[in-house]
Amino acid sequence: MAPDLTIVTTAVALPFVAAALSPLLYRVLGERTGYAGAVVAATSFGLLATGGNGYGTVGAPWVPALDVGIRFTVDGWGLLFALLASGIGVLVFVYSAEYMHGEEALARYYAALLAFMGSILGVALASDLVFVFLFWELTSLCSFVLIGHHTDDAESRYSARMAMVVTVGGGLCLLAGLLMLAAAARGALGGVTFDLTAMIANDEAMRASLRESGLFVPALGLIVAAAAAKSAQVPLHFWLPNAMVAPTPVSAFLHSATMVKVGVYFLGRVRPLLMSPEWVWLVATLGLLTMTVGALLAVAATDTKELLAYSTASHLGLMVAGFGLDIVYGGEAGAFHLLNHALFKAPLFLVAGIVAHEAGTRNLENLGGLWRELPITAAITGVTALSMAGIPPLNGFYSKELLFEATYEVAHEAGGLAWLYPAVATLASVLTVVYSVKFLALFFGERRAPTADVHRPPVALVGPPAVLAVAAVVVSVAPQLAVDAVVQGAVDATATGEARLEVGLPTHLSPPVAMSAVAVFGGAAAYPLRERLAAGVRRGVGAPIPVRPSGWYDWIVSTTEATSARFGPAVHNGLLRTYVGWVAAAGSLLALAGFAAAGGSLGIDGAGVPLAVAVVLGVATLAGVAVATAASHVSGVLTLSILGFMLAIFFILASAPDLALTQLVVETLVLLIFLLVLQRLPSFYSEVRPLAIARDAGVSVLVGAMAFVAVLSTIPGPDAAPTSVATYYTEQAVPGGGGTNVVNVILVDFRAFDTLGELLVVTIAAIAILVLVTMRTRGEVAETEAEEGPIPDGGDSP
Amino acid sequence: MSVALAVAVGGLFAVGTFLLLQRDLVRVVFGVAVVSQATFVYLIAMGGIDEGTQDLVPVLAVHGGGVPEIADPVVQALVLTAIVISFGTTALALVLSYRAYEENETMDVTEWTK
Amino acid sequence: MTVPIVLVVSISLFLQGHNLPGGGFIGGVLTTAAFVLIYVAYNLDFLESGVLGREVETGTSIFEHRTVTAYRRMLLAGLVVVLGSGFGGMIIGDPFLTQGYVHLDGIPIYHEVELASALVFDLGVYLVVVGSLLTIVSVVSGE
Repeated sequence: MAPDLTIVTTAVALPFVAAALSPLLYRVLGERTGYAGAVVAATSFGLLATGGNGYGTVGAPWVPALDVGIRFTVDGWGLLFALLASGIGVLVFVYSAEYMHGEEALARYYAALLAFMGSILGVALASDLVFVFLFWELTSLCSFVLIGHHTDDAESRYSARMAMVVTVGGGLCLLAGLLMLAAAARGALGGVTFDLTAMIANDEAMRASLRESGLFVPALGLIVAAAAAKSAQVPLHFWLPNAMVAPTPVSAFLHSATMVKVGVYFLGRVRPLLMSPEWVWLVATLGLLTMTVGALLAVAATDTKELLAYSTASHLGLMVAGFGLDIVYGGEAGAFHLLNHALFKAPLFLVAGIVAHEAGTRNLENLGGLWRELPITAAITGVTALSMAGIPPLNGFYSKELLFEATYEVAHEAGGLAWLYPAVATLASVLTVVYSVKFLALFFGERRAPTADVHRPPVALVGPPAVLAVAAVVVSVAPQLAVDAVVQGAVDATATGEARLEVGLPTHLSPPVAMSAVAVFGGAAAYPLRERLAAGVRRGVGAPIPVRPSGWYDWIVSTTEATSARFGPAVHNGLLRTYVGWVAAAGSLLALAGFAAAGGSLGIDGAGVPLAVAVVLGVATLAGVAVATAASHVSGVLTLSILGFMLAIFFILASAPDLALTQLVVETLVLLIFLLVLQRLPSFYSEVRPLAIARDAGVSVLVGAMAFVAVLSTIPGPDAAPTSVATYYTEQAVPGGGGTNVVNVILVDFRAFDTLGELLVVTIAAIAILVLVTMRTRGEVAETEAEEGPIPDGGDSP
Repeated sequence: MSVALAVAVGGLFAVGTFLLLQRDLVRVVFGVAVVSQATFVYLIAMGGIDEGTQDLVPVLAVHGGGVPEIADPVVQALVLTAIVISFGTTALALVLSYRAYEENETMDVTEWTK
Repeated sequence: MTVPIVLVVSISLFLQGHNLPGGGFIGGVLTTAAFVLIYVAYNLDFLESGVLGREVETGTSIFEHRTVTAYRRMLLAGLVVVLGSGFGGMIIGDPFLTQGYVHLDGIPIYHEVELASALVFDLGVYLVVVGSLLTIVSVVSGE
């Protein structure tokens, strides 16, 4: 049974509508807008959970010629992601209502958060590549607004821009990759299409088509680069910890459960399409590398949210690695961990927010033994941090165990260097245990004096993480329940073959179980050494630029800024004629290059026009040159009139009496109006500067050459048949318009709407002249008034 | 396929651009006018030019009957409106220049203060 | 003496426009030329004092000048006619700006006359062109 288009579209569109309305909502509800957002999220959640009625693709055409359509695919994978986003969205909105108490610009905050949630739902469910890209970029944009929430804070602006540059840059890679897919689909699916679902259904034909055109590796590389930018994979991981300047609910929502998972989600989505040895090599290596680097950096972190950010990167690496391995367990690990990670990481972020809110600091050094003041929060943290560490029987254990199984099986089959996979995975897990315990130490161990008195947090702050922790416990106790509900569908959608996910606690000692044991006990053993480990990592991070990716980012941004600061004044010096020069020269060069690339032959076959026409045009051109070289304004006007009257004769010779009549009269009027104005203007401005003249002449010759080539390559030959448009109008003039003057019938009958537009142009010119000449004093009065009063600049001035 | 047309259009566009780039504002307005004229010629050229005779004028002899071979009426309709509009824009540019001169007391665009 | 001739020619050009060379644009610019001829020969006030025989109010700015006001009204009337001819068709259910025509037989002298709604639209074009071009010229010359 196919899902209902209306229900799916409503679920995706509702958050956007609410976002548009949120300034109004905020005016009515004030800080309770958060609860309204929760209602919206809950509605989307409910629509998707109940109204889907099974899996399938639904859609309506948008651009039928390109087969672009509003097309949604509801399958286990998309639904899992969408339900996670809207479900956690409900909790985050409730939490925001309390946490953001007294903050400024809340209308913008809620609008961005709602639009963000809608974009995530769109990415999760869209089946059309155009819409996937659109929603993908929308998530980046909303994230930019949310990270930069504190607009007066320089660090906040810096971080927002960094996240924007990295993720939108990744989005551009995605666009290129998707276009390659669409190009390959033309060959594989026999027609232009942007339908991702159809491509995945014909994955073998798509791979063959991509390989044939040599686009397979570029498309793979671009899509993986896009996902890596979004999901903070090494070496593009540096934006994620910086993004922690955002308000904590944003971090919990965007940077644990949703936005950063978009990359992982898309890798899972295209995994059946692009699975190949190159994919395994690239994606699995990337994932395991990130898993280890992220865990190392998390161990070295000194700030609660920084620790969680690096840990998120590490866990994203786990999912990427899972999807990278060409084995059943790999896909299972990725899909299941997407759920588990959201269930334990979002509450941990919310807990970090509670601690910062109640204890007034995020510094790990200054916090300890908080369980006395925050018992419920401590319990939540206990469950979720141990789940993050992968301690059995908590939910994080199951998905990590699946990854161990996948790496072990792959290594067992391939041998050799492939044994690095399980080794690295185990090492990263040891580190995971270390930093998880480190976070847990906030609440246990000796009490360290917080800088402020610690209060009991309100229910709206504790409730959301508690709900998620309970969900994590449910999945821990009865994992098969979650699998049957939605995860199995997700596994099916991302698997390359048949997959039946069975999870449960291990009953006998197998190599993966041994790896888990090593991770847990190794982590416990390494915990006392964490300070030395952290010191080592910090030395590495402090290393010079070549090994520090954020250093590269800073270098690129500052160099670009410096270059544009130098480049700007040259092309942008405030003189319009400079702009005209650059635009005309560059445009002509591009057009000429285009003509050269198209490589059409320029049919030069004699004069081609009657002698009379050639003579008239020759005189007209000479008159044009005379205008340019005229010694005074008046002689310029007179030669300009020669040009105009020559054109009138040209129109007669070209069998256009209407034009000739009009041109004659208009030319007279032009001459007159020029003479009227010129008598009030100073005489000719002449300062001969050979260099400037040479430069202007150069630009002009380029433009002229462009026009020359354009005419030669576009005008019809002498025997060419009239265009279909011309023939149609000629045939229809009498029966359709009732007139024999075809030109006039076109103007007033067939294209009357265009004529109306042209009349408006003339009207506007007349009114503008009237206003310019007659109302100048009124404008000056208004100007002085404006200067005296406060300048209303809309807050745009720096 | 006429070199003469191409030379005329190219030449007029070149002259127009040259004028547009001048410091003297009146010559810039000249440039606007010349570029408009060049565009007319180009548009007419797009319709194809044959030996001008009375038969080619796009006015049909009678109501009904066959469709004779005539000059392209579409480009003529385009140019007809373009002529009137170019008068409007040229006049506007001229009056703007005049007002700019009144404000700045110079016709040299590089010496403007406002 | 020439001015009335030019005016007659321009109006005939406008009226025959649907079937012979001419039309709103051409008729409009030619009419403008006729008025401009008066300005060049005499001045802006001549139209009122010499042709219409009215007293000329002196000392008013060009914006309040009676002829300029008339041109602006003409411009406005032209736009109203154009839009009206467009919306007229909508009353009987045609899309915006749809034109139609009817043949009338048995009229004395002409025997057969064709009435096209496009003529109304063309009248609007004529009025707009005359109104706006004359506004431009008179404002500039009034300076």
